[in-house]
Order: sequence, then C-alpha cells, then structure tokens
Amino acid sequence: MSDKKRAGFLEKISSGVEGFDDITAGGLPLRHTTLLMGGPGCGKTVFALQMLVSGAMRHHAPGIFVAFEERAHLVSANAETFGWDMRGLEKKKKLFFVDACMRSDVVKSGAFDLTGLLAALEAKAREMGAKLIVFDAIDVLLNLLDDPAAECRELYRLHEWLMRHELTGVLTTKIDDNAPATAQRYGFMPFMADCAVLLHQRVTDRVAVRSMRVLKYRGSPHVLNEVPFVIGPEGVEVGSSNGVHPEPQPFKDRVSTGIERLDEMLGGGFYRGTNALITASSGAGKSMLAGVFIEAACRRGERALFISFDENSHDIERDLATVSIPLAPHLASGLLRMEAVRTEAASSEEHFMRIKRLITEHHPRCVAIDPLSALARVGGGLAARAVAERLIYLCRNAGVTVLFTSLLEGFDQQLETTTLHVSTISDSWIQVTYALESGARNRALSIIKSRGSKHSNQQRELIFSDTGISLADPPSPAVEAASNHESAVSAGEESQ
Amino acid sequence: MNDTLPVSDNPNGAYVFRLYFAGGAPNSVRALANLYAICRKHFPESHRIELIDVLKDPMRALTDAILVTPTVVKLSPEPALQIIGNLSEEEEVLRALGLPQKESE
Repeated sequence: MSDKKRAGFLEKISSGVEGFDDITAGGLPLRHTTLLMGGPGCGKTVFALQMLVSGAMRHHAPGIFVAFEERAHLVSANAETFGWDMRGLEKKKKLFFVDACMRSDVVKSGAFDLTGLLAALEAKAREMGAKLIVFDAIDVLLNLLDDPAAECRELYRLHEWLMRHELTGVLTTKIDDNAPATAQRYGFMPFMADCAVLLHQRVTDRVAVRSMRVLKYRGSPHVLNEVPFVIGPEGVEVGSSNGVHPEPQPFKDRVSTGIERLDEMLGGGFYRGTNALITASSGAGKSMLAGVFIEAACRRGERALFISFDENSHDIERDLATVSIPLAPHLASGLLRMEAVRTEAASSEEHFMRIKRLITEHHPRCVAIDPLSALARVGGGLAARAVAERLIYLCRNAGVTVLFTSLLEGFDQQLETTTLHVSTISDSWIQVTYALESGARNRALSIIKSRGSKHSNQQRELIFSDTGISLADPPSPAVEAASNHESAVSAGEESQ
Repeated sequence: MNDTLPVSDNPNGAYVFRLYFAGGAPNSVRALANLYAICRKHFPESHRIELIDVLKDPMRALTDAILVTPTVVKLSPEPALQIIGNLSEEEEVLRALGLPQKESE
C-alpha cells in the first residue's frame, strides 16, 4: 500500500455498504465531503446512518448526526429497527445525535448564520474525537435562510469548517425529481462536494425500484452507471455486479441431478457450488426437474431449499408425487424448506433480499429457484438481470449448488430467449423442448453447456412416468441423422 | 463571559430576553445593538437581557438546541418565543412580541 503514502492520495473510509464501496473503489472520501441527494423516502437518511454506524463500530471513527428535519430520537429509534445498537453506541460516546429541528413557531428577523452551531459541534467533536459527521436534510436549514446568496455562503462556511477540522462529512438533501427548479437551486452543492450521489425511487411496472448513481467523485474512479439498491432488514444494500467477484470454486465434488442418466450425460452430475440453468418450454417439466434435484439432495441428507414463484408449494408437491418423487418426508424432517413467493408482491431487489435471508436462515446445500424468469416480470429487465447475477454469485460464494429454471419463450428454440440472459453466467445449461416424432409430441432434453467437464451432445427424450423421471436410451451412433427418431421409438420401451 | 445585565430595577413583570451570540461575528454584534435599542424604546423600565456567547460556552448551544446565531429567546412573560436573526427587521420583532408597530406617519 505504498500508494497511500503518496502525497495527494485520496484516502477512503468504508461506507458500511459493501456494494457502495465496490462502485466507489473503497467508500467515502476521508476528510472530505459527500453529498447524498434524492427525493423524499429514497433512503438518504438510512444510508447516512449506516455510514455513521459502520464508522463508529468498525473503523474507530466516532460520529455525530445532526438532524435538521426529523427529531433526533426518532431517527435513532428508526435506526434501531435495522439492528444497530444506537443506544449502546451513544452510551459509549461513539455516536452523538444533535436535535437541530427548528421550532415551527420561530420568528425570523434579519440575517443569521451557522457560526453558533458549528462552534457547538466543534466542541462536541473534539470531546468525543469524532471523525464523521452527518448533516441530515441540510435543505431544511437552507430553506430557512431563504436567500440564494446566503444559502451558498453558509454551505461554503460548513464545507470550509469540515475541511478545517479534517472531518469526513456527509450531507443529505432533498431533490425533487420532477421539479428541476430544486435541482437548479441547489446546483452548487454537487460542485462543492467531493463525492455526490443521487438516489432514486422509481415505479417500474407498478413496482418501486431503488437505484443510485455516483454523479462525481473527485480524484477517484467510480462506476458511472445507475446501480440498484434495496433497504432491507439490515439497512442499505447496493447491488453492484461490477464490483462483485465470486470466489472461484474448485470443481471437485459432483452433485446428482436426481436423474441417473442425466448425471451420466454430464459426466457425473453438476459440480458442487456451481449453478445450473434449465430452460424449458411451457409445460415441459421445469418444476419436475427442480423437484427431482432437490429430492435427491434430501435423500443424501443435505439441507435443501425450493423457492417457487407463483406456484403453490402443495401443487408442486402433488405434481412430484405423481412421478414418485415424495417431498413430504423431507419437509417433515426439516431438511427441506419450500417457499412459495408471489412475484408481483415485491420488486426483484426485494425478492433477492428474501432469498438471501432464506439461504442464511436455512443453510441449504442445494437450492432450486423455479422459475428465475419470474424476476424479469417485476422491476424492469436491467434490475432483474442484476439480481439474477447476484443470486448466482451469492450461491457460489456460499458453496451452494443452485438450479434455476427459466421459461423458454418465442419460436426459435435455438436462440436463448430467456428474458434475463443469464445463460452466459450459468455453469451448466440444460434445455428441454418439444420434439415432434411420428405424430407424437415428446420432451427432448439436451445439454447446451457444462463448464469444466465433458458432456454429451445428444438430445434425449425426457420421460415422466408414475415410477419416476428418466431419460430414454441414447440414439445409436451409427444413425446420427435419424437419431431423434430412433430415440423416440425406444422411449416407449424405456420407461422403467 | 455570560453576563446578565441589570438594566432594570424592577424585575417583576419584566421582559426577560436571552441572546445567544457568536463572539464578535457581525450578525451577533448587530443583534446585540438592535435588541438593546428595542428594549430601551419599548420597555425602558422593565427588561433584562442575558447574554450567552456560544463561542465561549459551545456546549450550551447544544443543550439549548440553538441552531443559528444570533438567536433571541424571550423567557418572560410567557409564552416563550424564539427569534432568529440580527433583529434588523424591527417590525417582525414587534409583531412577534405583540407590541404596536411603528406609528403611521
């Protein structure tokens, strides 16, 4: 880290939000000012609080929170709901709240300035050795000044004060997306700050989606694009696919697909800790393949999680029972957990958070998500894709073997037409379509890719019978051209 | 120094003000002068002004929730009243205190 000693090198402090540190190459500029802008309810205060809590808890950086809009005790109480021990931190003098809400009946007469408040904060900062300071809803204070020149002057006074005392400052301010006048009015703010972040909350397909964008970051590279984020039970979580690098997993153990012949085609099954994508036409048996994989895991004594979108757990259980794949005993033993999720009930980001929580709670070794394509229906394609990627990385980092299903849409079966385009990052990809053979419509399974191992290039008939799920005999190599037909014929005799 | 200036001898029913100011900052100096002028003019017999220099007693500003300087608080008579600014707009102050404003000329 000799770089850090170089004069003028911009030091950073973690924001306490992993994804934000990723997109800003390390977090907030230390001893500089960061500005968080956004509409009401977009998460400015929570984000600022999280930075403060993280600094106080993990980076020996006690902090002060100056609340201009909400009463300080309410802000503190709100923060407790994220599991942050505000009272404990306050008691240990690592955190201090300043109630800076102006009384509503205050009378204004003539000019005033922030000298007094800054003198008070200076004394407090010295007393507790504060390194971080948040001015929440600075726009409320500026509104009070009600004079553009005075607003600018006081903001510079504040900025200069932060610099002089080598404090890392975070200012939050409201900006109305739909009123460019406010953005213009406070246009000088991002100019003054060293790092400026714009937070959004938009409604796409009737689902609220949060995103943020780093507008500027003096002296540091940063991701220019808008990135999605959520406010979950543990605070802000930024979804940066740019910064997240999954730990490479050694391809070692194999995990059965639950279908013996499919395992053979894959050279022994999926590799543990990887992900598999099953794309299938409507009705071709996505959920069945997900179920047989999960049931096999439970039979090996592994914990498993089955997440289904828009299909009742009981229906899935019943369908699988018809092909002699019983889930009930594993549900009863607690090895298996099934969760039915209504797609429309939340944004793709919220679904991600929920799945993440389920994985943390249940500790499964195998997970099925059926279908992943449901995510594309909520919250816009881009956000959903980012979520799908993060799901894959999350599972890989946790060493979880995960099977996603996705609905094939469109006519050209050669093209992957899953809305999420996740096939590029999936480790194995199996496709099930229909093949017309001698007037019969058969399910045809083929392996499109399987990373790290050889795999069969054959198309095989997938057979569901009341004794189980199986694949038909391979076509004879001699009659390559007519292979599909051969396999279809033999299929009838095959089914165990 | 936080002084109480005994301007009046009969504190009963007196107007009591507390001025939070920031040392010799221009707005603070003006506020002090303006407050004296208003008091001399309108309550010549009965007023008291407490002065708190937040630069000398910064923690006081925090405990009293003083955001900006100068700030004047009318402590008595009830109800309490808070006025921010250098008091250059006298009419605002008089209206807030419920006093007759400048006689029309």
